[in-house]
Amino acid sequence: MSGYIESQPLGRTAATEDAAANTPAAGATQSHRLRAGGLIDRQKPLGFTFDGKAMTGYAGDTLASALVANGVKLVARSFKYHRPRGIMTAGPEEPSALVEMRGGARREPNTRATTQELYDGLCANSQNRWPSLRRDFMAVNSLLSPIFVAGFYYKTFMWPAKFWEAIYEPMIRRAAGLGKSAGEADPDHYDKVWAHCDVLVAGAGPTGLSAALAAGRAGARVILVEEDTQLGGRLLSDGGEIDGMQAAEWVQRTEAELNALPNVRIMKRTCLFGVYDGGVHGALERVADHVPVPGPHQVRQRLWRIVARRSVVGAGSIERPVVFPGNDRPGVMMASAVRTYINRFAALPGRNVALFTNNDDGWRTVEAIHRAGGQLAAVVDPRGQAPVEYQSLVKASGLRVLSGFVSDVRGGIDGVRSVTVTGKDGRRQELAADCLAVSGGWNPNVGLSCFHRGRPEWREDIAAFVPGDCPPGMRMAGAAEGTFALGECLRAGHAAGLAAASDCGFTEDGGSAAEAGDEAYAISPLWQVPAKGKAFVDFQHDVTASDVTLAQREGYESVEHLKRYTTLGMATDQGKTSNINGLAIMAAVSGRSIPQTGTTIYRSPYSPVAIGAFAGHNRDENFHAWRLAPSHQWAAARGAVFVDAGLWKRAQWFPQPGESDWLQSVSREVNAVRNGVGFCDVSTLGKVDVRGGDAGVFLDRVYINAFSSLAVGRARYGLMLREDGIVMDDGTTSRLAEDHYFMTTTTAKAGPVMQHLEFCRQVLWPELDVQLSSATDQWAQFSIAGPNTRALLQALCDPDEDLSNEGFPFMGVREVKLRGGMKARLFRISFSGEMAFEISVPARFGNAMAENLMIAGKPFGVTPYGTEALGVMRIEKGHVAGPELNGISTADDLGLGKMMSKKKDFIGRIMAGREALTAPDRQVVVGIKPVDRNRRLRSGARIVPKGERPGPETDQGYTTSICFSPTLNHWLGLAFVQRGRERFGEIVRIHDPLRGEEYDAEICNPVFYDPEGVRQRG
Amino acid sequence: MVEFSWNTQSPLQKALVPGLHGVGGTPGVELAEIRDIVLVQVMARRGKAAETAKIAKKLFGVEPPFAPGAVFGKEVTLIWSGPDQFLAFAPQGDERLMQQIADGFSGTASLSDQSDGRCVLRISGVSAVQAMAKFLSIDFDDRAFPAGAAAATSLDHRAANLWRTADDPNGVPVYHIAIFTSFADSLYGVIADSSLEYGLKVA
Repeated sequence: MSGYIESQPLGRTAATEDAAANTPAAGATQSHRLRAGGLIDRQKPLGFTFDGKAMTGYAGDTLASALVANGVKLVARSFKYHRPRGIMTAGPEEPSALVEMRGGARREPNTRATTQELYDGLCANSQNRWPSLRRDFMAVNSLLSPIFVAGFYYKTFMWPAKFWEAIYEPMIRRAAGLGKSAGEADPDHYDKVWAHCDVLVAGAGPTGLSAALAAGRAGARVILVEEDTQLGGRLLSDGGEIDGMQAAEWVQRTEAELNALPNVRIMKRTCLFGVYDGGVHGALERVADHVPVPGPHQVRQRLWRIVARRSVVGAGSIERPVVFPGNDRPGVMMASAVRTYINRFAALPGRNVALFTNNDDGWRTVEAIHRAGGQLAAVVDPRGQAPVEYQSLVKASGLRVLSGFVSDVRGGIDGVRSVTVTGKDGRRQELAADCLAVSGGWNPNVGLSCFHRGRPEWREDIAAFVPGDCPPGMRMAGAAEGTFALGECLRAGHAAGLAAASDCGFTEDGGSAAEAGDEAYAISPLWQVPAKGKAFVDFQHDVTASDVTLAQREGYESVEHLKRYTTLGMATDQGKTSNINGLAIMAAVSGRSIPQTGTTIYRSPYSPVAIGAFAGHNRDENFHAWRLAPSHQWAAARGAVFVDAGLWKRAQWFPQPGESDWLQSVSREVNAVRNGVGFCDVSTLGKVDVRGGDAGVFLDRVYINAFSSLAVGRARYGLMLREDGIVMDDGTTSRLAEDHYFMTTTTAKAGPVMQHLEFCRQVLWPELDVQLSSATDQWAQFSIAGPNTRALLQALCDPDEDLSNEGFPFMGVREVKLRGGMKARLFRISFSGEMAFEISVPARFGNAMAENLMIAGKPFGVTPYGTEALGVMRIEKGHVAGPELNGISTADDLGLGKMMSKKKDFIGRIMAGREALTAPDRQVVVGIKPVDRNRRLRSGARIVPKGERPGPETDQGYTTSICFSPTLNHWLGLAFVQRGRERFGEIVRIHDPLRGEEYDAEICNPVFYDPEGVRQRG
Repeated sequence: MVEFSWNTQSPLQKALVPGLHGVGGTPGVELAEIRDIVLVQVMARRGKAAETAKIAKKLFGVEPPFAPGAVFGKEVTLIWSGPDQFLAFAPQGDERLMQQIADGFSGTASLSDQSDGRCVLRISGVSAVQAMAKFLSIDFDDRAFPAGAAAATSLDHRAANLWRTADDPNGVPVYHIAIFTSFADSLYGVIADSSLEYGLKVA
């Protein structure tokens, strides 16, 4: 006798009559489907294809369980070595069985077959292989594996450096990646939804169900989220007895009671993936992933933001693989997954299963296989003997129990052929088997506990990490917290649910916890089997045990370094099955304990979430909100071209028939204004009602110039600084009454200025009697400009209105009567340098006003103009705007230094006096025009003295606003130039490396047009 | 002499297409724009909040709310919009009401006419809350947001005022949303996108 505990090979002796009835159905494609049992609906067969091969499954199947039922072993190729891979788990932690779902624009790579519900017509394909899954030429990588060790890229592609961009990176990018994206826009829609509750329960296993029931009975508003399609968690796979009934019945009754509670909401197919500040939780609901195409107006997935005061996480635990050579062969499966496929899905992963376990829980698999009528080749347990409660079964069934390790697995694309077992004494023996069930123990699912930097703590008795500090309001309970026995889980869930409800003030009778036995869980930790051969730690990223030891040898001993050097745990599964094994091996080779070695922590999302779900409806034209000006519909009807100005859609120009070029249209509009009359919707400028007895004092402090002295019925240009002395914004502000000013801001700064004013009002000077209200959207405001402006307005206004220079002087403001029984505010202000007014009416009359301006101006050839013409005219006139108010310019830089009042204090005054802000060599606004008048200028070009080499030392400024001036018939613009105002007439060099241009230009007065201002006062 | 006509135009004139949209059957969401409203922001002058409240009571028959909420007078609804300020909203407003408000609060509170600055939508229906949960982070549970509740909030990144009025005769909740006028067109897209799966009826 060897050191093994030998017994007779298991025959059919243990098979009951039940089991005989359970043997796989013959004939059908479902060669491994049991005749009875399971939570599948045999009345609803579903057809599907995998790699083009037609198969059938049943409603209730996952793609993985249907593949198991069809006897499919080979499902995928691994990421790096293209090793054949099968199905390893039966849940969301699956690292291997990643498939490509659907086709065309809906193609979705890297879908876990273990969570994909089966539907009729499902079409899945394997990925990462060529030409086929069975014959994959890239498997040659596996032969080269001695090269592809940890740190391969860092070591190999270092030299020569210039090869990186041209050769190495493109090469690596071609080879890298798993699966192919659709490459087309996703035709489906996604929602983002808010939900609110007192107690959020994540996971509907025994713990979560108990918690939800307790909190719900206590009166709290409860949301229960469950990633699976059914409630029950491991109860669906492992059964058991609760409150004297079968677990399945208890689950059913519990679900019915929860459904009957109006304050409880159950959300299936919903995975909690993140915990954020303020009790906000992220969850993803897969609304239509289980149908070929979402129904009409149905979304594919919903991203839930659940605001909860308390949460109970019963996320369960994840079974841990063991690291041994061949542990990635198709047909090597977690023991719990074997039970799930048999018990829940009535599918037999193998006809002759070997079991390798180091803990009591793995032994449950024996019963499952027996009941299903499968053969057990042997149980390999390094502890040497069966747990007490299994010893009679071993004796009765003649089950072979081997003391030792699985040291190799033979097999390939058709699955496991045999398993090599090495005894404690080193003797080897080979067992024929077509499936190897493995259990290395259980890792509490601590992921969610880490999202606020909580660090898991090691527990020696279960050889696993348990949650450390949880995010505020969160309780981990049950297996997720390291409590594995069923009875304990039910009690822990109940207690956590009650406590969470009580925290929220709900103390109605929560009933008592359901009762179940407390089965023992003993484990003797086993991380790595001491044997030669490729033994995988991270199955998804192809990280082997030798990669971990190599990392240690090369000095990457910290878990954080280990992770980044080997990519351990960096795959989409975040190392759910691999992290602990990896750091346990690191601990062993570096001679430290596991707690000394530490653990990496987890970040959201717990499970991969499609970007589309985060975007929700905010895509394409709905990417962000937009704002429409009051005359938008009129402008659109006239064929205006619109430009995005922040959120606004503004008419940029109005093309006329025969115009093929924007410059043609814009020049026509400018000429029309300068020689006749035109109008432009300027409603997008920010407008603020400033009211109250101290409104004038308030504005004196906000603006650098005085406003309390402004007479009623007059307007004034104002400039405001930031606290640091830099210009914030400008605009024209009018005094409509003693206690009422009407401020305008630039379009871009309307929001920030309003915030600034509210800050000043509420925080800086609460003692002032000032009230603020944004009136931007209330008014439709038009600028009417050109020598015929007055004539147009006279046609529109009541004949009694005196619009002459005496009756309505420059910078005058008042309400006027219009023909047709309308009132309007009229402002005599000019941005274009022409004789101009601005007129405003309530926004609902915006389109009517545009139409009426056209009617009134018809005899004068009135021309609507857009923002481009507006820009050209302000540049010709030397008015500064956004490109000059650029967040680094002072009032003096803009040529407005004289406006700074010396008689009063204002925001930014002191800081504006800093040495650097008043230095004589600052870059200031000047005009610029090309020496060769036919040359086009460009904004953003650098300015250097003529004859100097362009460079940082010689740089003296840059061009900011450039246009073609139809008035002067050449390109011109504004620029910032060092000491610019002293240098009018000087020829400088324009250096534009971006466009590869260099040319001469002349510095000049920025006011190109009507410098005396005769026209606007005319 | 040419004649000028001054037709009004809603910011939703183009976007709102009356009728049923989305899935068939009984529409879950009903939407209507309330046009030609009077909406005035009433802001108490410094130290005159109590006096402002008194005048409001005299004018509208109800005291304005001092915390987020809406109170309903006979003709006018008062919606809290910040400390010492509220919105006075009348679904059918006219010059007379406007003048009455202006005269009443003269010297006591500052007014800002927002009748054209906001677009007001009425949203109701058995699925309204489900649709609104897609663009508002408000807890619409009866306990948290009963009739008379109001919020100044963000609606898919747009500033909005929201209040709940009395349920309709079938016991279905009714909400009002006031949004800056220029955002109305893009807001309709959000509401429609969120409502089509329940069926949307536009008045």
